[in-house]
Amino acid sequence: MQAQEPLTILIAEDSAADRLLLSTIVRRQGHQVLTAGNGAEAVHTFKEQQPDLVLMDALMPVMDGFEAARQIKALAGDALVPIIFLTSLSESEALARCLEAGGDDFLAKPYNQVILAAKIKAMDRLRRLQATVLQQRDLIARHHDYLLNEQRVAKAVFDKVAHSGCLSAPNIRYLQSPYALFNGDLLLAAYTPAGDMHVMLGDFTGHGLPAAVGAMPLAEVFYGMTAKGYGLTETLREMNAKLKRILPVDMFCCATLLCLSFQSRSVEVWNGGMPDGYLHRMASGERVPLPARHLPLGILSAQAFDDRTDVYPMAVDDRVFLLSDGVIDTCDANDQLFGVERLQQVFAANREPDRLFEDIEQALRDFRGQARDDVSMVEVSLVESAQAHGAAPVYSDSGQSCPLDWSASFEFRGATLRRFNPLPFLLQLLLEVHGLRPQSGALYSVIAELYSNALEHGVLGLDSRLKRDATGFARYYEMRAARLESLQDGYVRVHLQVQPQGEGGRLIIRVEDSGEGFDVARVMERPLVNVRLSGRGISLIRQLGRNASWSDQGRSASVEFFWEIEA
Amino acid sequence: MTDPHVDRDVLDTLREVMEDGYPELLETFLADSESRLHELQDSTSAKVLSDVAHSFKGSASNMGAVRLAGLCQDLESNAKDKSPEALAQLDADIHAEFAEVRPVYESEKHHAHIH
Amino acid sequence: MSVVTEVSPDKKKLTIAVKGRFDFGRHQEFRESYERLDKKPESIVVDLKEAAYLDSSALGMLLLLRDHAGGDESDIRVVNSSSDVKKILAISNFDKLFDIS
Repeated sequence: MQAQEPLTILIAEDSAADRLLLSTIVRRQGHQVLTAGNGAEAVHTFKEQQPDLVLMDALMPVMDGFEAARQIKALAGDALVPIIFLTSLSESEALARCLEAGGDDFLAKPYNQVILAAKIKAMDRLRRLQATVLQQRDLIARHHDYLLNEQRVAKAVFDKVAHSGCLSAPNIRYLQSPYALFNGDLLLAAYTPAGDMHVMLGDFTGHGLPAAVGAMPLAEVFYGMTAKGYGLTETLREMNAKLKRILPVDMFCCATLLCLSFQSRSVEVWNGGMPDGYLHRMASGERVPLPARHLPLGILSAQAFDDRTDVYPMAVDDRVFLLSDGVIDTCDANDQLFGVERLQQVFAANREPDRLFEDIEQALRDFRGQARDDVSMVEVSLVESAQAHGAAPVYSDSGQSCPLDWSASFEFRGATLRRFNPLPFLLQLLLEVHGLRPQSGALYSVIAELYSNALEHGVLGLDSRLKRDATGFARYYEMRAARLESLQDGYVRVHLQVQPQGEGGRLIIRVEDSGEGFDVARVMERPLVNVRLSGRGISLIRQLGRNASWSDQGRSASVEFFWEIEA
Repeated sequence: MTDPHVDRDVLDTLREVMEDGYPELLETFLADSESRLHELQDSTSAKVLSDVAHSFKGSASNMGAVRLAGLCQDLESNAKDKSPEALAQLDADIHAEFAEVRPVYESEKHHAHIH
Repeated sequence: MSVVTEVSPDKKKLTIAVKGRFDFGRHQEFRESYERLDKKPESIVVDLKEAAYLDSSALGMLLLLRDHAGGDESDIRVVNSSSDVKKILAISNFDKLFDIS
């Protein structure tokens, strides 16, 4: 049996003999004793000395035990100061009064030492329990405050990272709760140098800071690579590798990534573990599901990672709609899931495309009885390419010295063409020439177009006329993937020449491929308009660059850019 | 041979608990009791009688004066119901009972000093 | 116990049955079911017949199991999945990592 810890016990008893007897008994049990002869004295002594426990006679002069007990309990506040009433009151009404006054137990007269010791022990155990509870409550409250503060800081840092993108572009609509980050939801959007748009809706496993912490490196990769002109494929590889490296084994990030190309009117899609996205074709009303064909990011090693994307044609005003699993997983009172079927019903019932979000939110509210605050949705529309524009990139160098008279040649062969995208590198090289920077968008678009033509139509021998309808479109990209995968020979050469000219300079780009060539004259006859699904983007090159020309039966293309130094 | 007036076992326990403080306890009880007796005699209010009787009952029971405690309980419970004559009788009984047990406590005090 | 294990007599096959909700609350039990064995089994079967529900922490636990059992060299089958569970595993494409039935 554990030894009783010595307590300071206040004995309030008006009968001198009883007080003396009780004091002695209690002292013999190892405690320190304070005494009071009436209720008022008891309260006063309690205030001064803060005893651990009180033995209180019920009937005392000046102030009775009940009132004294009430006052002492009030003074004690949250802490438990047990009060044991000393009473020979037997009527239940009197006992009830003791309880109402805050008494915790009774001791009858004549005093029984054994019973008294047992009651003191029991009351002390309760007292210590209460003290522990209060201590832990305060500890928890403090920790909670720290946590809230840490989250505030994390959110502030993340908001800076997240808002370096273009979520506020006019063709993007989104819904995201303020604490989406802490539910693991991530929504990013950025323009590529060519004016395409990369969008990502992600969902990290877990909640709170662990989920948020993984989001930041991911966002940096997304924005950095997109700005440099890397495609979805390279960006995905890098994001997967990063997450695989930094996250624990059981953490991963489900994500859907889109590359919307306003110029070529298509969307490239990669979905790893997210619910189906939907491509809404306005003309037919059809909603094409974009299902998850891949494992989430951060699971597979680089060798095993599957970066294959699907490409779909789009018309102006068509929309891609993505949502997090918060919508599907919403439960009602009977634990029934909202589910995909109900979502399809909302789609079917939706009359005004612009009200889709409201319709979904309303359906969720009706289903669940209340709104959810952790749902993420995004809708991206394809607009006329003239309307889409990106922010000018920011350069970190001083602008003093730059290379103005140089040339470089590259030859990318066989297997390299399969895996390596030279465009970001070439663009970075060219942007060392400060005079070219204001035209970086056009520059990138032109080089990308030249390279893609050389690779797809030249080396891979794909016929762009295949892309005139949706089926042909899908077939084209299947063939592209297959031929690229089995490519052994072939090359694409890129020649760059920069020369000073007058107050500014001139850039000549020439791209050659090892393909069969094409009938240059016939294509040149076509009017200079934006060609839709098919076409070699030749008109784009002629529009954005100067002196575009083709030679060697179409295997060699050349285009120039000029700049003037502003005074 | 149990004493109907004073429970000897209680005294034994008191002696053991109080040790050197035993005489002081006895003295305090006797003094307290004297003053309570006066209060009983002087007071006429049923409430006061009841309260004093309650208090006296407590000490008496602590000290093992069982019959005295019983009489005080009677007075405490019935002070408001009893007639003045009945009250006077009860008061006299209490005085008498105390007179009966007093020598016991005096003797205890005496013996304690000797040991 | 919501995680019940069974080892074959020759210790080569481990069967882990998860009952009820397969979520973060099962984390400790699930790990212990395979970490404490004195001999690493050659094949593992995760029986979800009585598993009503699977969330992303369950997916994480399966990944941990796979990592412990040798990653790409592991032999893990997930059996008796209800249609709801199968759907979740299908969306996350976990059939690319596990044999699911």
